Amino acid sequence: MNPTTHPNNAGIYAIACTMTHEAAAMERLCQVIRIRGFRIVQMAVDAAGENLNIALTLEGTRPIAMLKTQLEKLHTVGEVVLQAPMAKTKTA
Amino acid sequence: MNGAQHILEAFHQHSINTVFGYPGGCIMPLYDALVDDVDVEHVLCRHEQACALAADGYARASGELGVCIATSGPGATNLITGVANAHRDSIPMLVITGQVPSGLIGTDAFQETDVLGMTLGIVKHSYLVESADELPAIMEEAIELAQSGRPGPVWIDIPKDVLLTEAQALPSKPTTSIETSAPDLFTAIDMLRAARKPLLYSGGGISLAHAEEAFRQFAAASGLPSVVTLKGIGNGGKRDPNHLGMLGMHGSRAANRAVDECDLLLVIGARLDDRATGKLDTFAPNARIIHIDADAAEINKLKAADLSLRGDLTSILYGLTGELKKHPLAIEEWRKQCRTWHATGGFNTADNEEPLAPITGPAFVRQLSRIAPDDTIIACDVGQHQMWVAQYYQFDHPRHHLSSGGLGTMGFGLPAAIGAQFANPASTVINVAGDGSFMMNAQELATIRRYNLPLKLIILDNQCLGMVRQQQELFYNNRESHIDLNDNPDFVAMARAFDIPALHIERTDQIRRGIETILAYDGPMLLHVAIAREENVWPIVKPGASNREMIDESQRTRKANKEHVA
Repeated sequence: MNPTTHPNNAGIYAIACTMTHEAAAMERLCQVIRIRGFRIVQMAVDAAGENLNIALTLEGTRPIAMLKTQLEKLHTVGEVVLQAPMAKTKTA
Repeated sequence: MNGAQHILEAFHQHSINTVFGYPGGCIMPLYDALVDDVDVEHVLCRHEQACALAADGYARASGELGVCIATSGPGATNLITGVANAHRDSIPMLVITGQVPSGLIGTDAFQETDVLGMTLGIVKHSYLVESADELPAIMEEAIELAQSGRPGPVWIDIPKDVLLTEAQALPSKPTTSIETSAPDLFTAIDMLRAARKPLLYSGGGISLAHAEEAFRQFAAASGLPSVVTLKGIGNGGKRDPNHLGMLGMHGSRAANRAVDECDLLLVIGARLDDRATGKLDTFAPNARIIHIDADAAEINKLKAADLSLRGDLTSILYGLTGELKKHPLAIEEWRKQCRTWHATGGFNTADNEEPLAPITGPAFVRQLSRIAPDDTIIACDVGQHQMWVAQYYQFDHPRHHLSSGGLGTMGFGLPAAIGAQFANPASTVINVAGDGSFMMNAQELATIRRYNLPLKLIILDNQCLGMVRQQQELFYNNRESHIDLNDNPDFVAMARAFDIPALHIERTDQIRRGIETILAYDGPMLLHVAIAREENVWPIVKPGASNREMIDESQRTRKANKEHVA
């Protein structure tokens, strides 16, 4: 699959992520999201001391659980919480 | 101590006594500190890519951390292929690069590149050190991280001023061990007992986890027929009676057939990659799957497991072994069937009895396997010769077979062999290369000479990029495109230019003498082996096709080729 193409059967997911606020933290997160086949629809970042709290809405056709385990492997990621499935917003 | 001295102090603390590097402007403070250090041997390679690949080979052969060092800009970018290679094969590696001084970062300074940004996808983790005080803690964390859990390369990019600044060591962050789920051993045992045709499928994760002995005990206690991935070769030793060989694109018919017919696949330390599974939909179609791995992200990544055990492989394997020793599996019929397949569908190409016949890759590798000592380390490059080694060399241990699996890096073998020789000074280390791969890091002949390494270099020379030519023949209507290397240099003369003696052979009756000569020579020596241009690696599965659709030499016709182009 070409990770940059997102057909109409793409799912929409919301995840919350906490990670250490260090150099290239956000780039690292975004890079994994992209290469594992998801597109960022919305992102909100809140710096809280040494941590970053990130709320993401993602779109993709691959299983979101696979992305969650890949994000959890990042050394600076503390927690990834998959929130309730979101209603699909794209139309055919 | 300044930052540079703290780096060396960390090496001492962790018994790191061999590093591979190349100096330059921004890393000079570390090289200055090395002048006064007698405990760390710095190996000067002739290209930074070779530094990284040598560190990789050192780590693969020893099971310890490999370390490479380079300067900023081109030094760092030249490391990238070697670090990516380590990342894809989960090799523990520490990478240290100099960076332009902190105040110049982002000004397009001389030899400045955004190393942190450009390497995010090829490291387990990376750091840009912002102050000298944090360097000691980062060193500790990086060394631990590179080797823990699923290993991988960790890169520390250090501005020149940080290397020069006196550092007060800040306390290290406490490292947390990776939590593992409690393995459900009894469920696994129940599934094994319920199966009539269970099959063991192991990969590089066995040696990465230092679980070789536990694996062998499990294999013996279970008596399971077994297949391996490219990186799992040697897991069971060369005398495992239930071993069916490598599976996948260039695997044995026996191995692929066993996977196709098994009703339970026990996957240990393998990631079910595409070169091993072929078309996933048709892979092990009748099997339930138990997947055991240290990395949670590999479980269910490509194929859903019916049961997963995540954690320390040694503990899990010993747990399973204990249960199976009490009540062995009753699978004699299945074992017998697999042995029959192995006898008829293994890699059993007959030796060529005609003394004047041209040398073939399989015949040469079989002879090498018979003659070389059991503990010989073979570092391959990438291409046809790599597959012939995987198919025909009988390895007794996975650390004896160094092969670029995930990335498939041509040019890997020679520097990896250098690293392996530093890790095992008393062992026989052989680089088996193709003519294309050899030329990608041939400058390292100078490194072999400088350190007088007793490496043996073998070039299987077919005057072309054989694996590409083979696929063009089979899958692109024989339309050869830019694979011709018939203007190769005289490799014997080239070796001699580096003061390395060399021999040329081309006939079957010269194989034994050639191998025995280089092995007996007290020092580095090169054996140039001329082989036929048209020789292919058999069998082969077309990329993306099912492993059931293995093509062998009997189908080497234009008609068959056209069928497979579709």
